[in-house]
Amino acid sequence: MVAAIPSAFSNRSSRALIPAVLLAVGVLLLPFVRPDRPFELFNWDLVALNKATWLAWLLFTSSAVLSVLSWLRLPMLARGYALIGISSGVSITVFAWLASTSSYFGFGALAALVCLLLVLGVGLSETGLIQSDPFIASSIVLCGIFVTLFIAFPLFVVLRESIIVNGAFTLKKMAETLSSPLFMVLENKFTPRSETTIVFGIATAGAVLGFGLMFLRKARVQLLLGTTLAGGVLGFIVGAGVFGRGAFATSLYLALIVAPTTVFFGLIFAILEQRCRAAWVRRILSIVGILPMITPPFVLAFALENWFGAQGLITNRVFGVDTNYFKGVTGVAIAQILAFTPIAYLTLRGSVQGLNPALEEAAQTMRSNPWMVFTKITLPLLRPGLAAAFLLTVIESLADFSNPILLGGDRSFLATEVYLALTGRYDPNEASVYGAVLLVLVLTILGLQRAWLGNTSFVTVTGKPGSGNFSMLPRWLENTLQGVLGFWGLLVAMLYGSVFYGSFVKIWGVNGEFTLQHYIDFSGTGLEVLARTAQVALVSAIVATLLGFLIAYLVTRQQFFGRSILETTSMLSFATPGTVMGVAYVIAFNVGPWLLTGTFIVLVLALVFRNMPASIRSVMAGLSQIDKALDEASTLLRAPSSTTLARVLVPLLIPQLLSGIVFAFVRGMTAISQIIFLVSPGNLLATVLMLSWLEQGNLGRAAAMSTVMILGLLGMILLLFAFSKRFSRNGTGLEGIG
Amino acid sequence: MNQTAVPVRLENIVKRFGAVTAVETVSLELPAGKLVTLLGPSGCGKTTILRMVAGLERPTEGKIFFGSDDVTQLPAYLRDVTMMFQSYALFPHMNVFENIAYGLRVTKRPNDEIRERVAGVVAQVGLQNLEQRAVQALSGGQQQRVALARSLIMQPRVLLFDEPLSNLDAKLRKRVREEIRELQQKLGITSLYVTHDQEEAMAISDLVVVMKSGIIEQKGAPRELYQAPVTRFVADFIGRANFLSGTYNGSSATVGNYSFAFAQPIQHGNVTVMVRPESLRVAKDGIGLEGKMHSVAFLGTTTEYTVDTAAGQLEGVMAGDAPLLAKVGEPVRVQFANEGVYLIQA
Ligand SMILES: Nc1ncnc2c1ncn2[C@@H]1O[C@H](COP(=O)(O)OP(=O)(O)OP(=O)(O)O)[C@@H](O)[C@H]1O
Ligand SMILES: [Mg+2]
Repeated sequence: MVAAIPSAFSNRSSRALIPAVLLAVGVLLLPFVRPDRPFELFNWDLVALNKATWLAWLLFTSSAVLSVLSWLRLPMLARGYALIGISSGVSITVFAWLASTSSYFGFGALAALVCLLLVLGVGLSETGLIQSDPFIASSIVLCGIFVTLFIAFPLFVVLRESIIVNGAFTLKKMAETLSSPLFMVLENKFTPRSETTIVFGIATAGAVLGFGLMFLRKARVQLLLGTTLAGGVLGFIVGAGVFGRGAFATSLYLALIVAPTTVFFGLIFAILEQRCRAAWVRRILSIVGILPMITPPFVLAFALENWFGAQGLITNRVFGVDTNYFKGVTGVAIAQILAFTPIAYLTLRGSVQGLNPALEEAAQTMRSNPWMVFTKITLPLLRPGLAAAFLLTVIESLADFSNPILLGGDRSFLATEVYLALTGRYDPNEASVYGAVLLVLVLTILGLQRAWLGNTSFVTVTGKPGSGNFSMLPRWLENTLQGVLGFWGLLVAMLYGSVFYGSFVKIWGVNGEFTLQHYIDFSGTGLEVLARTAQVALVSAIVATLLGFLIAYLVTRQQFFGRSILETTSMLSFATPGTVMGVAYVIAFNVGPWLLTGTFIVLVLALVFRNMPASIRSVMAGLSQIDKALDEASTLLRAPSSTTLARVLVPLLIPQLLSGIVFAFVRGMTAISQIIFLVSPGNLLATVLMLSWLEQGNLGRAAAMSTVMILGLLGMILLLFAFSKRFSRNGTGLEGIG
Repeated sequence: MNQTAVPVRLENIVKRFGAVTAVETVSLELPAGKLVTLLGPSGCGKTTILRMVAGLERPTEGKIFFGSDDVTQLPAYLRDVTMMFQSYALFPHMNVFENIAYGLRVTKRPNDEIRERVAGVVAQVGLQNLEQRAVQALSGGQQQRVALARSLIMQPRVLLFDEPLSNLDAKLRKRVREEIRELQQKLGITSLYVTHDQEEAMAISDLVVVMKSGIIEQKGAPRELYQAPVTRFVADFIGRANFLSGTYNGSSATVGNYSFAFAQPIQHGNVTVMVRPESLRVAKDGIGLEGKMHSVAFLGTTTEYTVDTAAGQLEGVMAGDAPLLAKVGEPVRVQFANEGVYLIQA
């Protein structure tokens, strides 16, 4: 009794039916264009029939034709080509109409284009041009278009602006900017010594060190050259950072301090969470690790200065020193380490929890001591996670502009120069040059990371279920790490305490009288803006996570033409500092059919494409630990890809997805660099409002707002984490946390 | 015997991965309801063929038929083929019942039917009372059975096995392979089985296909391959063999000083004579290849020995209780029995 199955020859109706029908509905009911920036939900005057009658009829006709084609049981190949032809022809027509009439697209046009693209995807699948099922093919098409439009295109605009000034190609702007002392200067005219010599001396020492270390280990020539070069470059960065000046030197030096430190702390926390006997550690970790992330970065910087700055509570009041030491790289580095360690921790957490204890047990039974197990088994398995965390923090550090702007003192940083060039010097071309430099830097680091990881696959979760438990840390190590965590907790508590305190006293640091006035002042506009921000952040978090999940899945689990392009392009926005992306969106989406600036949607999009790469990374790391045979088993049990996703991969990746959403939401709430250019009066966001209050001297009100925000986000995160722990597969010991 | 079982036919299948040619023009027919084994050394393309039948890879050239249906372009999830993976590929977030029921759930069968059919296969593979267990809490053998049950419940047109036993210990492997064989014969599902263990292949198959670097060397029933290997590779891969160079004149073959009557349709002239170890006969004198006893090892049921001859060292096996005719170092004459000797074109 073998069930009747469709054979290769039996013709099926097409999956294109639903988008084909929706096409007509969307065109009929939704406003096709906008008269102005805001999107309207419904206005009879703006629907296609009243705006572009012939286009509307074209769309209705094609919808009808496509529906009939899809509904009938026709030969797949021929119908596939028909679907491709009609959908691409009509969507090009729609686009051409929008562009030629300079209309701003509305929901109707958007719906029409999306439906047509879905049909195109189904067609590509039916013809076998994309050898996957219709769901996958449509996803590929849609993701490809989104990524091109909202990542590649704006970045292209930035690069264009850096070499095309007033419509003409020129390298003058580039040369001018790069040779400016704001960019980099080694020599200090006011000192008798030669800084240039010192810097190159340090670089040489670095190169010699790199060579020597590898030479002693008898490395291959290639590796030897690599480490020598790396030593030289690192030496130069350190030298230039310490003795030189300028944004380039300073930003690199900063990243070099911040990234390894944060990854180190992040790893400590992740491992402590998994292998520590004391339950309090996990409880503290779940709060402490998260706190700095849920705070707009400048608030932390402000609090830091309050304690350690020139007039700081500890530096000045307790020790009586009046030093500016804190202003500059030191202060920024401390603020960034505090702010980014949680990011590293969250990134590593997934990988650490995905480890298979059996591997370590196996190594132990082969008489490896714990240190060897850690360095030979655990660390190599964590390499994808470590690399992701490192890259993430390097980029965060390079891209961060609010800490440098508050604590940077007289040093200039790349991200701040982007910002200052645009908002201070009103020079979008100079801003674009800085943007291009940042881009190249981050891409270089990305390339190095690739070289390090290679194509190694790290399948440790196979369908053969692992069992066993992780061994606990040795006592002395556990105590040390707990000490580190304790110190961290204390520092963080101090900082937050001061914000909290500041929100309840008349004048922060001057008049300590209790008052609720700041909260009353805040609740006027503040609550409304906060709600708006939450709305933007939530929508963008969900979209970013789902889109990121889909792209990660496509890129790691499917074979198709353009796969690596999709991956690289999606990761580009990751490599793009927020300020650069912000500038890019302002320039790119201010004209033509894609007018988006000044709308709610542009904020959502900016945050989506900002946060999506992080979720791509975390899902990829998760997926790389799920044996591909699981997908294949599901497929052979007659599940189409969409079902495999829903029933196998999503459930297995729930911890990653949940943390992805939380992460994206929090970043959305606290983001500033990418949206400071994009906010508009109707769409003001919390961080921008807070920063303006700080600048106006309304410290208490800003403190009140951040207190509300911090507590709200904290509650939400704890809730979601409690939830995600229930789903975590490696749940031993995590279940018990109250 | 299953009336609806279909034969599977591969026609001139080629598969390339970039510059690597994994499978080179393979044509093969799996008879309906039979179990065919792909046997060959690592990297010879067995898994690739299996995955093409499953639809997990598309052939670069060639066609695949299930019965008269050309399924070459049919996506995997519509092929009605199930597979047992080396790693079992059990879904770690589902219990035994849900793992087995997965395919029925996906195809939206009613709950009652699912319960009934799961109970049926659970009984078939002997997993009673374990339905609610987490799959992590099962032994390797039990996990194996869950994977088998999950495949069988779909009543697939074709059942595939990719070295399903390699994670089990030797004893269990033997038992499970017998169970698989029994079930497969009872259900009559056309099956393709991949292994690089020749003993496993011989024990389980109706037809064995020996592969070497992407091409088929020989296919046949296990006994046929053993008795009449067409290449030295096959003879060597299936069981043990001695290879001697000799000549053939149509009625007798000669190796060194030893001529023996032999008839086989093969070109006259130089040949390679393949002799199975159990086909050697050792005598003190008389006609036979001249040699000297080199070593003797008593292994219980059998005794293994080697003889040095001018044509090279020969390995022999005889029953453990058979009387030993010569001691180590003594000169002997070696003759060949009628079976277990085969000429291969030199
Ligand atoms: N996805 C792939 N990309 C590139 N080369 C591949 C791919 N899959 C298989 N190959 C190559 O094709 C050849 C055949 O591989 P296949 O997995 O079929 O071998 P096999 O006979 O199953 O070996 P084993 O017994 O080790 O499993 C090998 O050389 C392998 O490296
Ligand atoms: Mg294989």
